[in-house]
Amino acid sequence: MRKLLAIIVCKFGRFVGKLIGKGSSMPGKFALKICPDILSRVQLPDHIIAVTGSNGKTSTVEMIAAILRAEGKNVVYNEEGSNQIEGVTTMVLTHSTLGGRMKADVLLIESDERYAAHSFQYFHPTQFVITNLYRDQLTRNGHPEWVYDAIAPAIHPETELILNADDPLSSCFARNHDKVTWFGVNECSISSKMPFGAYHDGAYCPVCKAPMEYDYYHYNQIGAYRCTKCDHKKPATDYTVTAVDLDGGTLTIDGNVTIQLAFRSIYNIYNILAAYTATRRVGVDSDVIAGVINNYILKNGRMQKFTLGQHHGTLLTSKHENSIAYDTNLRYIKQTKAPCTVVVIVDAVSRKYFTSETSWLWDIDFNQLDCACVEKVLLCGRYSNDLAVRFSFTDIQQDKLELHPDINEACESLKKDGDNDLYVVTCFSDRDKLLANVQKEAV
Amino acid sequence: MDCKIIYLYPELMSLYGSYANVSLLKRHLEDLGNTVTVETVDFGGQADFAHADFVYMGAGTERSQKAVLADLIRFALELKTAAEDGCAMLFAGTAMELLGKTITDDAGTVYEGLGLAAFTSVQGKKRFVGDVYGKTNLYEPAVVGYMNKCATISGVESPLLTGMDMGFGNEGSKGSEGYHERNVFASELTGPLLVKNPLMLGAVLAAIYARRGESLPKEIPAYPYEEQGYAITAQQLKLRCEKV
Ligand SMILES: [Zn+2]
Repeated sequence: MRKLLAIIVCKFGRFVGKLIGKGSSMPGKFALKICPDILSRVQLPDHIIAVTGSNGKTSTVEMIAAILRAEGKNVVYNEEGSNQIEGVTTMVLTHSTLGGRMKADVLLIESDERYAAHSFQYFHPTQFVITNLYRDQLTRNGHPEWVYDAIAPAIHPETELILNADDPLSSCFARNHDKVTWFGVNECSISSKMPFGAYHDGAYCPVCKAPMEYDYYHYNQIGAYRCTKCDHKKPATDYTVTAVDLDGGTLTIDGNVTIQLAFRSIYNIYNILAAYTATRRVGVDSDVIAGVINNYILKNGRMQKFTLGQHHGTLLTSKHENSIAYDTNLRYIKQTKAPCTVVVIVDAVSRKYFTSETSWLWDIDFNQLDCACVEKVLLCGRYSNDLAVRFSFTDIQQDKLELHPDINEACESLKKDGDNDLYVVTCFSDRDKLLANVQKEAV
Repeated sequence: MDCKIIYLYPELMSLYGSYANVSLLKRHLEDLGNTVTVETVDFGGQADFAHADFVYMGAGTERSQKAVLADLIRFALELKTAAEDGCAMLFAGTAMELLGKTITDDAGTVYEGLGLAAFTSVQGKKRFVGDVYGKTNLYEPAVVGYMNKCATISGVESPLLTGMDMGFGNEGSKGSEGYHERNVFASELTGPLLVKNPLMLGAVLAAIYARRGESLPKEIPAYPYEEQGYAITAQQLKLRCEKV
């Protein structure tokens, strides 16, 4: 009876919520109040795929959904990004019959890494993809090992883990687990013998804290690691990127599947590989996967084109408080090699909560902008002074830097002057302040 | 002066941009006409604390902190002697906990600390997270920063922050935060706290000069970005304090 009531309340709440434009977590919250263990009382689909990690969750989930739909599967997933237990409950119940059977072939969940254990106490994923674990919103999350310890209790012994072999931290989830499928990227054109980034979290083993050695790096601590003391090392991979051609925009999986890259970034390669691995594991053919990804444009639009005066601009949305998101976009700018101006905006650190915390600026490898193609760098927004201090510790010629606390004023100055390419590096919380001043181009 | 900075475990104790404290202090010392060398210490490495002007350690994970403690404990006596001799030190973030008598982890295991101070730290399953706006006895204006720790620290008799309008103190709730005795500075304020607080950087510089028996030069270069950055953060946090 409680179960039925919870389902009805949730469905009704969702219906009303849609009418008045409210988010999707409230109905689930009510349903959980009525029946706290509702998620263990409903009949879920045979395949439950969960995705978590510091970066790439949304992109990976979107690709998995597109692939499974192309295969003809009925996929339900949290497209609105409400990835805590309330949102998951809403999603499950609104797609269930009144008898409590979920009408879907696959339940796909993007799970917040800090809340995974809470969401999965009533049911567990059949496949659990963990993309990576590294510095992300440290000020809120503490640090990657803290997040690791938060995810660990969410892992059920029967779940098949799909893990990134190239990440020394999240690969540790395999240490007490039987069913593991590994994905990874072989040494290829994107590999480097030298570490990337402003810090080096791969320097010491997450298991025993002894120094680690790397055969090669792909970005930050992602690469082929080996502890000098214990047995922790990059494992052999089951699904492998064997070649990457960033200039040509292709990657090759397992030596024979070629995929076109819509966005030529290193972590897009890992997201594609994670989606490929997860969908292969639920029985999708490699041709189908390649077909979908070849025609795939990221829905959440991390890249946007526009014009500002005589400048052609590209917005590279980079999560504030996530140094690796920034690093990857800076690496992208550097590899384009054409003369350009770069705009960095830090006005509101977060759109969700108030903070004046800017320590994450020190974790970003801004030194990547010390290259001939970068002609000018505009530091904008309320925290432009903090940016200026941070940039004073790079090798970038200080006369290339301009300080513009006022974003509109920065746009005016760009409109008047110059016609080189423009790259804007900022977060969701600040990008509209720039976009209000530009003419958007169709993708 | 020829100044020597000893930088402890820079790669392992590197959360929240901790390294920026050393980068900035080094620059300011050089701008005052000093020659600065930075010596790093890693597992099994040697260090001559008797000839150091400044000893620094930043924030690390709780596991890294224990690994570092197991190695650094061999220098406990040298560090204590240096501190008593007036050597300037800064232990930021989780590094602060190492200075005390003991650290108890979330499973109840007790680790012997370096014993420079009498306080004890107990780590839990919850993190204290948030912006900090506080006071210090060192100067009038506010101290700004950010806190992310999982330990409560008891028994600090001489805190660095004597009160706070926003944030968490040593014992968890508001109150006093950090530790300051002779020229040893410690705080769980994470990351580049000397960047965020130009006056705290000034206090550390003054401590380094005082230990040498020298006075700070009369002409001190201006750092407008650092000062503006601090002013804006302080203003934002103050507004926030008034709203709550
Ligand atoms: Zn090891």
